[in-house]
Amino acid sequence: MKKLFILLLLLGFGVTALAQNGRQLYNKYSDSPGVEAIYISPTMFKRIGIIPDMELNDKDVNLSHVIKSMTGFYSLSASNAKVREALRKDIDKYIQSSDYELLMESKDDDEIMRIYIVGDEETITSFVMLEYEDDEINFISIDGNMNRAQMEDLLAKTVK
Amino acid sequence: MKRIQDIEKLSVVELERIGADESIPVPADWHPLLPRRNTAARWSVAAAAVAVLIGLGWFGFQYEPAPKDTFDDPYLAYAAIEKTMARMSVDVNQAVIKVTEAEQRLGQIYKQR
Repeated sequence: MKKLFILLLLLGFGVTALAQNGRQLYNKYSDSPGVEAIYISPTMFKRIGIIPDMELNDKDVNLSHVIKSMTGFYSLSASNAKVREALRKDIDKYIQSSDYELLMESKDDDEIMRIYIVGDEETITSFVMLEYEDDEINFISIDGNMNRAQMEDLLAKTVK
Repeated sequence: MKRIQDIEKLSVVELERIGADESIPVPADWHPLLPRRNTAARWSVAAAAVAVLIGLGWFGFQYEPAPKDTFDDPYLAYAAIEKTMARMSVDVNQAVIKVTEAEQRLGQIYKQR
């Protein structure tokens, strides 16, 4: 009986854990002072997918395949000191409480850049990039079923 | 619910009692014969109900409404993604350059030893 109770509780919490993503952070901070926010919905990604490949192809790097595999895009840039501090704490909590693995970290004086991903060897289901600078914090969260090799290749090349 | 055949078998006294809507007394020794539900099964049902309620409550607490799209035009949305990807690739390349430089410095140190 106890096992059944615990199992059902875990099931309930598991379902809610799946619902967690960058949306909570976006909703909380997108209207804060000194915050630039961009949200692109799954519907908009579908509309982007309708654009012919020829028009999406960049001169040097083809973004279209990766972009078409995205389903959600959240970007927050905060410059207000109080908002930055609160956002940083929430981002750290969010990353620690999720299944993100650190893909890359770069530190230079007070500037920190980190990339976290969720996925397997072939697919990335969630991608988070953080930039902590003296006067700004940038948070980018991308959801989807992105091909890992394509995504890494894209980041390695300089997109113009 | 009684079937017609059962009603037809009822005696006049029984039919009169039903017509008068009289209650039939429960025999004193009948209670122990009532089927008793398993305590563990009852607890399981209660536990399942509590778990479902907690799960639903937690889900409602965690639910976040979808934000409004920043762009109405897919071309503008694409341009924003492209710009973000460009910034990200610059940062990644800078990090890779730093790693390469650090590796070269480490290589020189090992050679000197």
